[in-house]
Formats: sequence, C-alpha cells, structure tokens
Amino acid sequence: MIEFLSGAVTLGYLIAALFFLRFWRRTADRLFITFALAFVLFALNQGLAHVFAVYHEPTSFVYALRVLGFVLILYAIIDKNLSTRSVRYPIEGKRQV
Amino acid sequence: MEDSAFSEDFFAFIQSAVPSVAAAELLLLVARQPERWWTVAEIRSELPADVNMDDGGIASCLEALRARGLVEIEAQRGARYHAATEALESHVKTLARAYNERPVTLIRMIYALRDTKIQSFANAFKLRKS
Amino acid sequence: METFNFILYLMAVLTCLACTMLLGRGYLNSGERLLLWSTLCFVGLSVSNILLFFDLIVYPTEIDLRLWRLAAALAGLVFLLYGFIWEAEDNR
Repeated sequence: MIEFLSGAVTLGYLIAALFFLRFWRRTADRLFITFALAFVLFALNQGLAHVFAVYHEPTSFVYALRVLGFVLILYAIIDKNLSTRSVRYPIEGKRQV
Repeated sequence: MEDSAFSEDFFAFIQSAVPSVAAAELLLLVARQPERWWTVAEIRSELPADVNMDDGGIASCLEALRARGLVEIEAQRGARYHAATEALESHVKTLARAYNERPVTLIRMIYALRDTKIQSFANAFKLRKS
Repeated sequence: METFNFILYLMAVLTCLACTMLLGRGYLNSGERLLLWSTLCFVGLSVSNILLFFDLIVYPTEIDLRLWRLAAALAGLVFLLYGFIWEAEDNR
C-alpha cells in the first residue's frame, strides 16, 4: 500500500509541476516556474526517499530536497509581494497582475 | 481607437466567445461576408496562412460560436455568420475595429482574459490586496 | 542538529499553512473555483507535513505515520490536479 501511495504521490507532484510549467508559459508569471521547480523537488524527494528506503528522513540528504522546495515556495511568495509589475490588462478592476 | 471603446461587456464577450486569436480570425472572416454559407474546407483555405487551425479545430470553433449565438449551422449548407442580438453584432464590429487599428492590444487582451483563472492563483499570494 | 531539523520541518508546516490561508482567502474573496481546489490541496499537504513533523521530530521511534502522510498528500494532489484540469480554463 505504501509503495502504491508513494508512487502516486511522486507522480502527482510531477504532473502538478507540469501544469505549473504550462501556466508559466501562458502568463509569464515567475511564481509559476518557481512552484514548478518546488514541486519537481518534492517529487524527487518522495521518489528518492522510497528508492533509498529512507525512513528516518532528517538524517538523509534526501530531505534537503524538501527543504529546498519549501524555500522556493517562500521565495515565490516573497517575490510576488516585492516585485512591482505594471498592470498588464485591467479586467473588471479586480484581476490585475 | 481609445481604451474607452473597450467596455466591460466587450471583455465579457471576448472571454466567452473569442478564446484565441485564431478564433478571432475565424469569426471576422465569416462576419466579413454575412450572407455566405461556408464549408470547413472553404474556411480553412481562406483563413490567413499563419492561423494554425485544422479541420477539427475549425469545426469545434464554429460549434462554440454557434453556442454563443454568432453563427448558424445547417448540415447541408455549412456555417454562416449570424449574430443573434444587436449587442453581439456591435461587439463583432468592435472586434473588427480593434483587429484593424489595435491588433497588439487585442491579442494581449484575448490572452489576458483567457488566463484570468490561472492568474488568480498567482494573485492569491499577494499579501496586500490592491 | 536536532534543533535545526526542528526548525526546518516547522518551516515546511508553516509554509503549507500560509499557502492554505492565502489561497483560501483568495477563494473567499473571488469565488474562483480553481482556488477552492488549490486550497484543499494545501490543506492536504499541510496535514501531511504536520503528520511528518510528529512522525519524525516529535515521536521518531514510537509511531510510523507514513501511510497517513502519503494519503493526505495524495488527497491534496488529487484535488489540485482536478482543479487544474477542469477549472483552470476560462469558458471552454
């Protein structure tokens, strides 16, 4: 059961990363490429943790991938709030880039 | 053509009826000859060369336009431009003007409107709402 | 080293919770269904990371929550992918 879940989660992260990549190509919003990279790292973390049978994660290098993934997400959030982008297209006054 | 020519209703029209530049080209093509019945092959041959739509794409685009009230389709005759309301007719005219006078703005608008949901994901991470 | 791990795993939990709250607020403000599914995704990931925190940092030897951690993460990802597939396009 755990093997099944581990594989499914790994694939889930990867497919999500592909969607983020697609959204980045559509909108050119840096947040999406950052999330894509983060989710690839989560996928790697999950996959490698299983391959190397890492059960006590904190002592393994594999967990650095997770940490890096979360650092990227934090970076994406901070970057989203710090960078000032010009309005691309005002739509209904609410949805502005 | 000023920005004021682009009303909220026009944005809503674009968002619901014109999901891509190719769709805009197709709509404008059939609107230019409103009495003519078109087959898919005729549309394909008369669309500008850089529009990448195959027969299946053209057919589904026509179906979407029909659902939106811009085109009528008859099995034997093909498709013909027919705006169901005056509002739609006026939006198509605005689209034609924009296409001729401000094509870059129009293209940006089409794609920005297409991506509003995706953009809302990214915008949710802004801590301060503008 | 233990404290370092503690902080890093706590960061993971807090980041997931922050994403959950930001996306949830976005959904409540806009009603955009994509944000609902995204929020649910990060609820699942938050639960997964909280369980991970307890599994490895708080009770490293007493319990093994791997099954539940993975189930929560998978549930979250399924919500996210559902949202991306069905709710990310406008008016199709």
